[in-house]
Amino acid sequence: MQIDFKSRELTVKLVYYGPALSGKTTNLQAIHRLVSNETAGRLMTLETRDDRTLFFDLLPLTFNSGGGIQVRFKLFTVPGQVIHNATRRLVLQGADGTAFIADSQTSETRANREAFLNMQQNLRDNGIEPETHPVVIQFNKRDLPNIRSDAELDRMATRSKEPIYKAVALRGEGVIDTFLGLTDLTWRRLEAKHSLQEKFGLDPDEFLRDVRRRLGLGDGGTP
Amino acid sequence: MNDGVQTDSASVDIAMADIGRLEDVVDREALRDVCRSFFELFSLSVRVFSASGALLADVHEDQPIHAYLRQFARGRQALAQTVAEVTKADVRGRAPQRRVELTGAVYDIVPLDYQGRAVGRIVIGPYLPAEVREVPRQLLKLDPNIDPERVRDLLAQMPRVRKSTAERIVAHLTGILKLLLFSSHRAHLTSEMHLASVRENYRELAEKNAKLQAAYDRLKELDRLKSNFLATVSHELRTPLTSIIGYSEMLESGIAGELNAEQLEFVQTIHAKGDQLLALITSLLDLSKLEQGVMSIRSETIDPRALVDDIARTFAPAARKKGIELRTRVDEELPPIEGDPIRLKQVLSNLAENALKFTPAGGQVFFEAHAADFEEESDTEMGAVFFSSPRPAVAFVVRDTGIGMPAAELDKIFDAFYQVDGSSTREHGGTGLGLSIVKRLVDAHGGRIEVSSEIGKGTTFRVLIPSPE
Repeated sequence: MQIDFKSRELTVKLVYYGPALSGKTTNLQAIHRLVSNETAGRLMTLETRDDRTLFFDLLPLTFNSGGGIQVRFKLFTVPGQVIHNATRRLVLQGADGTAFIADSQTSETRANREAFLNMQQNLRDNGIEPETHPVVIQFNKRDLPNIRSDAELDRMATRSKEPIYKAVALRGEGVIDTFLGLTDLTWRRLEAKHSLQEKFGLDPDEFLRDVRRRLGLGDGGTP
Repeated sequence: MNDGVQTDSASVDIAMADIGRLEDVVDREALRDVCRSFFELFSLSVRVFSASGALLADVHEDQPIHAYLRQFARGRQALAQTVAEVTKADVRGRAPQRRVELTGAVYDIVPLDYQGRAVGRIVIGPYLPAEVREVPRQLLKLDPNIDPERVRDLLAQMPRVRKSTAERIVAHLTGILKLLLFSSHRAHLTSEMHLASVRENYRELAEKNAKLQAAYDRLKELDRLKSNFLATVSHELRTPLTSIIGYSEMLESGIAGELNAEQLEFVQTIHAKGDQLLALITSLLDLSKLEQGVMSIRSETIDPRALVDDIARTFAPAARKKGIELRTRVDEELPPIEGDPIRLKQVLSNLAENALKFTPAGGQVFFEAHAADFEEESDTEMGAVFFSSPRPAVAFVVRDTGIGMPAAELDKIFDAFYQVDGSSTREHGGTGLGLSIVKRLVDAHGGRIEVSSEIGKGTTFRVLIPSPE
C-alpha cells in the first residue's frame, strides 16, 4: 500500500494470480465492463502474444471516500505461463491482496496446485509472508463440463482458510463477489496494520459499504 | 509492502505501475500538436500544466484588447492578477474552475486526472462567453482615458464561445489528452517491464551459476582429497608389502632351512602375488602423483638407441618364451631430446608388455625410433599459420601383429581403470592403469602419444618426444 499524506491518497495493489488460461484477464475485463467509467479507468493490457498475457493487465479503480481521501485500487494480472516466472515475481511486488483464479476443470487440478505453490514462493521471495497475506480463491469456468462439483467445492470451502468463490468470468458471474471478498479481506488487514480509521477517519465498514454502492450493489446482497 | 510515499524520480513506478510526473511521461511535441490543432479548430488558446505547475504546452494568440488595456496602469495590474490566479489555481481532485477577467472574458481551468491521481490541468481561454453581450461597466471606468468605441471594436475580435460548446470542447480535449497519456504510460510501462524482467532473469541465472560454481568447487576439492587419500594409502600399503616379499624371498632362498617342493611352490606363489600387488600399488601411487602434478621428472639427454636396445634386451626372454619375434630399428640421424630415462623406459616397457601380452605365438613385435616432426595440438584452426611451428622430435614406436582393438575404443584406452574388454583383465592380467600412467608420463615430457589399431592385424603406439625449444 502506498500512503501519500500530502495528497491524502491511498493506493492499494490487488493481484490476480493463477495458472495459465484460468481467466485472470477475463476477470479484469468483466469488472471493467460492469463498473461505471467514473470508478474504473481504462483497462491497460501490456504486451500480449497470441492473446496471452506477457507482462500484465492493469485496471485502476478510484473511490473518493468521505474526509477527502482518494482511495485508488490497482488491479493487476500476472502472466500465467510457467516460463514467465520472473515477470510474475515482479508484478507481485508490493501486493496487498491476491485473488487466486483457479480453473474448475478436473484436468487442471495439478496446474492449480502448482500455480498456488508458485504464488506462495513468489510472495516469500518478495518479502511477503504468505500466511498473513489476504488471499481469496475463485473457481472459474463453472459452466464447463468435467469440473469439480459444487458439492465438492462447498465441502472444500468449509475446510479452506481462504474464502472460496465460484465464477463464470466470461459472463461476469461471481467476478464482483470475488473482488468484493478480496477488498474486504485486504482492507481489514490494512486497517489492522495501518490504523486507517485513526489516521484518515476512514471507517472500514463505511468504506466497504461505499465500495459496494459504487459497484452498483446495495448495502448488502448481490446485484 | 511499499508503505512509503513515492519519492523516487523514476517516471514509472513498477510496483504500482503509476506515472510519476506528467512531464516525464508525455511527449511534449505531441502534446503541443494536439493543442495547436484545437487552437486551429476553435481559435481557443490552450495551455497544459503539470501537477507541479510546469507549463508543458502553450498555444495562444495575443489579444489586441489586452495590448490596449496594458497601456493603462490599472489595466496592466488587473490582467496580471487574473493570469497569476489562473496559473496558481489548485484544482486537485476538484471540479473545473472558471476565472473572469476585467474584460468579461473567462479562463476555464480543468483538472487532468489519470488513474485517480491529479497529474495536471488544462487552461482554456481567454474567450468571451456567447452570453456576454455588453462591455463590462467597470472596464470603462478603469481609466478616464479609455476609449469605449475602441474597447468595443477590440472586444469583438475576441473569440466567442457558447458555454455548452466550451464544455464539449474541454471534455473532448481532456479525453484526447488522457488517451495520449494512456498510450505513453503503456509504452513506458512496457519498456520498464522489459528491462525489469531481463534484470530479474539475469539475477536468477547469476544465482544459479553461483550455486553451480560452489558445487563444482566442492567436487574439485573432493577429487583432490581422493588423490591424497590414494597416495597415502598406497604408501602405507607398500611398507608391509615389502616385508612380505622380502621374507618370502628369504624363505625361498633357504636361509631359514631347506623347503620341500610343496613348501617352495607355496612360498613362490606368495612371492609372485606379492610382486603383482606391489606393481599395482606402485602404479596407483604413480597415477595419483601424476594427477596431483607432484611427480618429479628429471631432464637429461636421452640416447634413443640405447633406450630401444635396453627395452629389447629386457623383453627378449619373455618373447622367446612365448614364441614371438622381436625386432628393433633406429634411424641413423635423430634430433637430440631430453627427458627422464627411467620414466621413458617405464613408458616403453609398459607398451612392450602390452604388445607381448596381446600378440599370439608366431607374431612379431617391433621397437623403433624415428626422426619426426612435432606440432602443438591447438583447439582452433584459425590463424594456425601463426601458431604452429613444427619442432624436430623422436618418435618411439611399439608395433605388434596382435589381436588389435576396435577403432571406437581407441579414445578411451588412456582413461584410468579402462580395458577394452573387461574380461581381458582376468585373461591377460594387468590393472587397467598402465596406459593412463603412460599417457600422463608422456604429457609430463611435453610429448604426445598416438595409437592406431586394426582388429586381427595389430596395434601401433607412437610416442613423440620433442626436441627442447
